[in-house]
Amino acid sequence: MSTLDKTTAPSNEVTRRHDSDELGGERGQTTIGEGVVTKVAGLAAREVPGVHNLGGGTARAIGSVTQKVGLGDARTQGVSVEAGEKEAAIDLTIVIEYGESIPRVAEAVRDQVIKRVEGITGLKVVEVNITVNDLYFPGEDEPDEAPRVS
Amino acid sequence: MTLDGDSGHPVSERVRLAGLAAQAIAATDGITPTRGPVGRWQTTSESGTVDGVLAVEDGRGCIELDLHLAARWPPAMPLQLIAEQLRGRVRRSAAIFGMTQRLGAVSVAFDDVLAEASSS
Repeated sequence: MSTLDKTTAPSNEVTRRHDSDELGGERGQTTIGEGVVTKVAGLAAREVPGVHNLGGGTARAIGSVTQKVGLGDARTQGVSVEAGEKEAAIDLTIVIEYGESIPRVAEAVRDQVIKRVEGITGLKVVEVNITVNDLYFPGEDEPDEAPRVS
Repeated sequence: MTLDGDSGHPVSERVRLAGLAAQAIAATDGITPTRGPVGRWQTTSESGTVDGVLAVEDGRGCIELDLHLAARWPPAMPLQLIAEQLRGRVRRSAAIFGMTQRLGAVSVAFDDVLAEASSS
């Protein structure tokens, strides 16, 4: 298991704010749920070539069961977000395809997650901590034996 | 109070504003209303239910709107801009129907993201 260091991102806009109209009255606020940030980060990480899956072994095993019964959501598996009103810190656990450069994929994941989360939510991403939990070997998921009936 | 064109039921300004907000949501790309757990984010009346919109009298003569949304992945623009666009649409619709004075704050909450392989 390898943990790759945090990074910082350039400053951006806030996510929660009060907007005033020309009359000086409150126009209402915009709220972005922490679940939204979590899903954006998970979806962004999956966009990077070389990322096979997200989540640790146990999380993936439990996730596959809960998803089958309609309770789980693969997009949030392996993603932990701490989001405030202006900033977010993100922890990712990823599985990388065998043969890919782990530092290169990790850096690409970090860049993509920062780009997506900051661009979409306006939060400043102050940390993206990446844990490479496993390597995926092609064919690993295929069944060991051919089915006995067609 | 006016009558709903489809059902003939009387429609309050609160329900009417909720309906205008629902139309604004439908006209805005990349978002869909969310009704929330056990329909928490709905406006219901005899003439029907409006998902994703809570319309509440604020006690000062205005009606506040709480819009609850899911964004489709990938969003075409930052969520704040989508919220601004939506607010603008609601205000313009309210103005067209002479309800500007009744419309209070329009809050927008993004509660979910919907991707193609969404399981929620």
